[in-house]
Amino acid sequence: MAEISTGLIAIGSGLAIGLSAIAAAMAESTIGAAAVGAMAEKEELFGKGLILTVIPETIVIFGLVVAILILNLAKGG
Amino acid sequence: MFAPYQMNNIIITGHSNLLDAVINELHMLKILHIVEHSKNELADIGKPLESANKLSEILVRVRALATALNIKKEEIKFELKSGIDIESAAKKLNEEVSKNLEELRKIEETIAKNEALSRELEILKDINVPLEAFSSYKTIVHFAGYVKTKEITSALIQEISKATKKFMLFDSSTKKRCFLLLFADAKKKDVISNILENAGFSQVSFPNISNLNGNASSNLRKLEDETIKLQQRRAEAKKRLERIGRENKDFLISSEEFLTEQLEKAEAPLKFAATPSSFLVKGWVPNDELKNSIESLTKATHNKIFIHFEPAKKHDKVPVKLKNPIYAKPFEFFIDLYSMPAYREIDPTFFIFLTFPIFFGIMLGDVGYGALSLLFFWLLKKKMPKARNFSNILILASFVTILFGLLFGEFFGYEFIRPIVSREHEMFKLLFISIAIGIVHVNIGLIVGFINEFRSHGFMHALYAKGSWIVLQIGIALLALSYFGTVSTPPLVGAAFLGLSILMLFKGEGVKGLIELPSILTNIMSYARLMAIGLSSVILAVIINEQSAEFFHKGGFFVLIGVFILVFGHAINIMLGLLGSFLHSLRLHYVEFFSKFFHGGAQKYKPFGLKN
Repeated sequence: MAEISTGLIAIGSGLAIGLSAIAAAMAESTIGAAAVGAMAEKEELFGKGLILTVIPETIVIFGLVVAILILNLAKGG
Repeated sequence: MFAPYQMNNIIITGHSNLLDAVINELHMLKILHIVEHSKNELADIGKPLESANKLSEILVRVRALATALNIKKEEIKFELKSGIDIESAAKKLNEEVSKNLEELRKIEETIAKNEALSRELEILKDINVPLEAFSSYKTIVHFAGYVKTKEITSALIQEISKATKKFMLFDSSTKKRCFLLLFADAKKKDVISNILENAGFSQVSFPNISNLNGNASSNLRKLEDETIKLQQRRAEAKKRLERIGRENKDFLISSEEFLTEQLEKAEAPLKFAATPSSFLVKGWVPNDELKNSIESLTKATHNKIFIHFEPAKKHDKVPVKLKNPIYAKPFEFFIDLYSMPAYREIDPTFFIFLTFPIFFGIMLGDVGYGALSLLFFWLLKKKMPKARNFSNILILASFVTILFGLLFGEFFGYEFIRPIVSREHEMFKLLFISIAIGIVHVNIGLIVGFINEFRSHGFMHALYAKGSWIVLQIGIALLALSYFGTVSTPPLVGAAFLGLSILMLFKGEGVKGLIELPSILTNIMSYARLMAIGLSSVILAVIINEQSAEFFHKGGFFVLIGVFILVFGHAINIMLGLLGSFLHSLRLHYVEFFSKFFHGGAQKYKPFGLKN
């Protein structure tokens, strides 16, 4: 049986990545819709559209790094 | 490698009656990127050649025919016979096609009408009343419609017979409802319609049967025979059209191509400057083609035109034709997708060629996945020669994936050899490697940016705008290292570097640069995705393997389920992996790398006469 603290750490690290993923998704949905709209008008905007759309993705990467750090905390402590 | 083809600005001018010859020669040479003239007080734009109107008329007809015959554009090997008269051939074909189309339209109209009629007759088929009875009479009214059940009918008869003795009722019931046809005394119309309404009667009208005689079922049989015949005729007409399409496909496609080309030539003067008796073309020609093209132009016009050329000046908007060795050429696709680099900027194609496959490989990093994607894109290349560049990029990336798969020791998620770095167990090691790659990549970008700025704005500006970022990184690194006690320099040294870099940045890029300060960290951190995407792909693969292994141990029927999970799971994981690795690798180049040096926005070199 795992201890409660282990479970809490797991929840914490899950929240770290889950919440940041939701945030990124919300940001990207708005940008993506606008980017596709712009692309429909002018196809050359694909590159710029892609870039703008994926900018918030970095948030998830941060979330992931934090999640891994928290998990590591569990190993150490 | 890092610079596009050198361009020359060229001006061709001559007498109007040489226009035809010059256009023909230019179209054949396919070297001149025409700069469109816009009307000014010195010269108007040219008028299209006389043939343009006629050509566009025929072209519209040919395209309409191709649409009507459902002919798709495709590559064909068909030579138009020389001297063939496209106009009259198209006209003749048009007559034949429209005759058939008209017939088809008429048949389909009749079929639709018959369908409506047969729906009405279908309702009446079990009632043996001649259809003439449905015409209007002075003394008789009729009601036709539905009630919910057959039981209501007898109650209705009783009620109606209270009102009048002069009535006749027919009924036929289906599973869901009961059809009633009631003839009655016209004087009692209101009373009866009241009774019917109370019984939940919903009326049906028969607008199509008024011209028919005899009872419904015999009419229905006749109609069915007729419909079969019509359908046969329709199929024949369609077959005829198909045959016409098959026979004339080559002719239509190739004449469309031919006409488009001729029309392009005929409309070319719209891009030229013209006076009543002369014309002038401006444009760009690559250096290596210059001599030949001038020679053939003078030859074609018997030395009666004037050609002036000079190399591109500093502030000219030069169209860009990228120049790369054959192995890096496919990666121009990514530049095309983004934006053409300016004429004097460094062309980043070669850098993408070096790093894109590596990033892709680190993220996908599995021998099995790499081999499958290699096979897939090799097949795609055979099937779709048009997407050749794209396939070539991914074939190369797949090779690198296999190499990294060996390094990570992964085969469909199994560790089949002792890995040098294990993606599953050595996350942190890989995270640091990723960040290190990020630091190197971003700094390569900064150095390229430095060279770009140096070329366009001089050394000092380059130092302030790009060098400052490198100083900033040194400052941060020193601060961090002295904080952890790895190096013995006092934190003040790091802080001094930091302060210096901020001052430089402010001088180079102003307030905008200061706002951007944290971006260098987020940019480098962003390379953590090299580890993250790979990790998620590995974990998923391992889970798939474990799940299917459980079913394999149970034996018997469960083995099938295990196989299903294995195949289906890995298929999905490969698709996700390919998509993720491709997009994220591309993103690292577009966002993190390009933002350090790329301005872009140049026009692509598109010579007159070259097909897309």
